[in-house]
Amino acid sequence: MPLRWARMVAGLLLGCLSVPVEVGYLVAAGLCVAALSGWPAARRTAVRGSRSGLRGLTGFEGWRMATFFGEPTPREYPDRRALGFLSLRLMTGLLGGAVLALLGYGARTVALAVWVWLHGGRPDGIAPRGWIVAYLVVACAVLAFLVLQGIHAVANLERRLGRWLAAPNEREAFRRRISELAATRADVVAAIDDERRRIERDLHDGVQQRLVALGMLLGRARRAQQPERIDALIRQAHDESQRALEELREVAWRVYPTTLDNGGLPAALETVAERSALPVRIDLDLPGALDRATATVIYFIVCESVTNAVKHSAARQVTVQATRAAGVIEVRVSDDGVGGADPAGGGLTGLARRVAALDGRLRVDSPAGGPTSVIAELPCG
Amino acid sequence: MRVTLAEDSTLLREGLVRLLAEEGHEVVAAVADGSALLAAVDADRPDVAVIDVRMPPTHTDEGLRAALEIRRRWPSVGVLVLSQYVERRYATELLSSDPTGVGYLLKDRVAQVGEFLDAISRVGDGGAAFDPEVVRQLISRTSHHDPLNRLTAREREVLARMAQGHTNAGIAGQLHVSQSAVEKHVNAIFDKLDLTHTTGYSRRVLAVLRYIGS
Repeated sequence: MPLRWARMVAGLLLGCLSVPVEVGYLVAAGLCVAALSGWPAARRTAVRGSRSGLRGLTGFEGWRMATFFGEPTPREYPDRRALGFLSLRLMTGLLGGAVLALLGYGARTVALAVWVWLHGGRPDGIAPRGWIVAYLVVACAVLAFLVLQGIHAVANLERRLGRWLAAPNEREAFRRRISELAATRADVVAAIDDERRRIERDLHDGVQQRLVALGMLLGRARRAQQPERIDALIRQAHDESQRALEELREVAWRVYPTTLDNGGLPAALETVAERSALPVRIDLDLPGALDRATATVIYFIVCESVTNAVKHSAARQVTVQATRAAGVIEVRVSDDGVGGADPAGGGLTGLARRVAALDGRLRVDSPAGGPTSVIAELPCG
Repeated sequence: MRVTLAEDSTLLREGLVRLLAEEGHEVVAAVADGSALLAAVDADRPDVAVIDVRMPPTHTDEGLRAALEIRRRWPSVGVLVLSQYVERRYATELLSSDPTGVGYLLKDRVAQVGEFLDAISRVGDGGAAFDPEVVRQLISRTSHHDPLNRLTAREREVLARMAQGHTNAGIAGQLHVSQSAVEKHVNAIFDKLDLTHTTGYSRRVLAVLRYIGS
């Protein structure tokens, strides 16, 4: 605590001492640029030079804030803002100086009075009577309180100025946001293509194979001679047609679960649990309405993670938890399996892209030896 | 006929093994990927290899690459490639070197058991068998070629069936005309495609190649 105060005082002191340097520099640079206004080339050089000086001084101030006030050092800022910052901080520098001067004045007065009294003297002809000492103690306490408050307030002002200097400006923020959006948009397109490829594979390698097999059974039945043989082949063909229908239903379900529209997220997740080969415990705590895009993403996160757990984790139990707090939905799918899931794998990459498209984040925690948790955070409302 | 099968779907592979056995063919090996197929062909030297285009590990065209390899290393082994959809590249690559003992069918054709067995026999005997759908697409792409525009509608029909690998007798049966009428059309086709001076079976294949424009 005392160390923090000492650092704040030292910071303010340094800030106050740098004021004359900065004022001198700004005035000199301004005069120099103004005086050269008739010679454009020389003026440009002067402006360039004054800018580098400006950046140097701003850099020093940034260092001071970082060292004495614990602010992160500002790295990127436009020159115009550096000029604004420096001009404003002259005020806070002077203010800090005034507060420190008050501190020094108070300390000096008390020290002097006590010193003279101890040596039997009477400063300004005042004897150390009880009520005089009491008056002095109260005045000192009030002044100390004000000074400490002042130090704190000026340090805060300096911090706010530093933060303003370091904050990305609007254009920079827009630029970052746009490149982020372009990246997630490209990812979404890639994810859609991946999914289509998967559906194509499901159709060709699953449903089409079954239908060809079915056709082949019927073709064999037509060529067969003995009635029993024909019967047997037709029975097989009938069974095969059932399986083809089941396969088709599976594929259609994987493309989009209609339950999501009819029964909402809880119903769709229950179906995932029912169809899973592992026991799945679902614990949803999502009060309020969910928009469809978020519900769909949550569904696919759960679906893919449960499928992965069944396929790769050798788990005995999967737990799905979803909670909503402070504008963020957290979905957590955990198993008690062997871990070692690769976040760069096809399915998880697809999920991460879907989540990023909604400005969310997907984390996969799966150390070798397990267990595995897939955690998604989605902004909502 | 001695047949080697390469098909990764167990369901279809078993079905094909039964079908071929029922029809009196001998299935000497039934495998599920390209490298196993090459090993089996090397060991057994079958009359014909029936090959699914899409197999593990990449599920793209390892079947086709294995088929091309077989044609290069063991030219006496016929290859009949089965594909889930028509891909012009597959047909032209299969035909590019030596257009005998080669076939390309849509997988669906397996259900037309008669046609499928017919194709196996033709390919095993050193002939060709191309899916009507494959030929139709190739023709629709190449119909603007000059020499082909000289053909009459009937000659086109005959050429399309030649491209599928049918004999004159087979074509006559399908078009319900006499065999001599078919021969007349075939000669007219050779004439119009400037193939009069070549002889033998290869002339038919050349006609098809010209048709495809490869």
